Amino acid sequence: MTDDVFKRWLCLGCGFSYDEALGLPEHGIAPGTRWRDIPVDWCCPDCGTPKSRFEMVEIGYAAGQPVADIAA
Amino acid sequence: MSNSFVLRAEERGFDKIVSTGATAAYVGGHPDAFITRWSSFNFHDYQDGRPGFGRIRVFGDETFNSPGCSYSMHRHHNFIISAIVLEGKLTHLNTLGNIDELLPGDFYAFSAGSGGFHEELNMQSEPMKAIYLWLIPDRLLLPPTYARGHFDATAGMNRITTLIGSDEGAVPIPQDARVARLVSDAPGTYQYEPRSRGHGVYVFVVEGEVVCDGTLLARRDSKAVWGVDEFVCRTSGGADVLFVETIL
Repeated sequence: MTDDVFKRWLCLGCGFSYDEALGLPEHGIAPGTRWRDIPVDWCCPDCGTPKSRFEMVEIGYAAGQPVADIAA
Repeated sequence: MSNSFVLRAEERGFDKIVSTGATAAYVGGHPDAFITRWSSFNFHDYQDGRPGFGRIRVFGDETFNSPGCSYSMHRHHNFIISAIVLEGKLTHLNTLGNIDELLPGDFYAFSAGSGGFHEELNMQSEPMKAIYLWLIPDRLLLPPTYARGHFDATAGMNRITTLIGSDEGAVPIPQDARVARLVSDAPGTYQYEPRSRGHGVYVFVVEGEVVCDGTLLARRDSKAVWGVDEFVCRTSGGADVLFVETIL
């Protein structure tokens, strides 16, 4: 059920990463929020790049990151 | 199966970013400063070209005009950002604590990882010209790193020298990628062997001309080659060429 796997997205303006598993609680996006459920007019909280200019990436986290255990 | 694409100089995206109005917070040095950027791949408002090549997302041929011209201090994550200075003097500042002045031949690699700010600044009257390269790393939120290096065109004349990557003497980065440079002052033939057929090489002509894998490339033309064990570049005289090899 690959559709169920949480995915990660990278801002092509600055490199900010969004992880569906983690959401962005500090920006009002709950953990588990799917990319498709984020509004189309949402922008990168760091640099303002529009949602359409993010790229899905299949890259694991660096060792020692607090999120590494959920995202091998 | 071999593959390639050719990108002529004039086919690249072009932006002129001024230091006044809506982009004043982005580009410093108002009122006169401005940056020109020729983009080989889609970036910011230029979205009509290729999205990238392998792990490369940005290849910008940029000029910072007028004293004080800068990309103001701003944050990145994840991307490995490199500048290779061609003309003038670049002052690079970052929140790892580096304040560096880079001259032609100098370059740096800044891996933004879990987060870091940088500023790119020309403090001189003369334009500062540099190639800006962004690569996606092999891990997210790595510890940020910064290192600089120098390409000695005299010592390295007429051979391909690795600037960035895992080769001895090169600046390491957290990605299966390599940046190399060839400065030539005589006719020559150079075989380039990628690490594997799963690697591609983006070849960009800074100055002069080169026949790359059978294609004549003039100044600022480029070609990507992949799926081969090796390919040949021929110079007929003076040439300055960058090679960016990346896992595909």
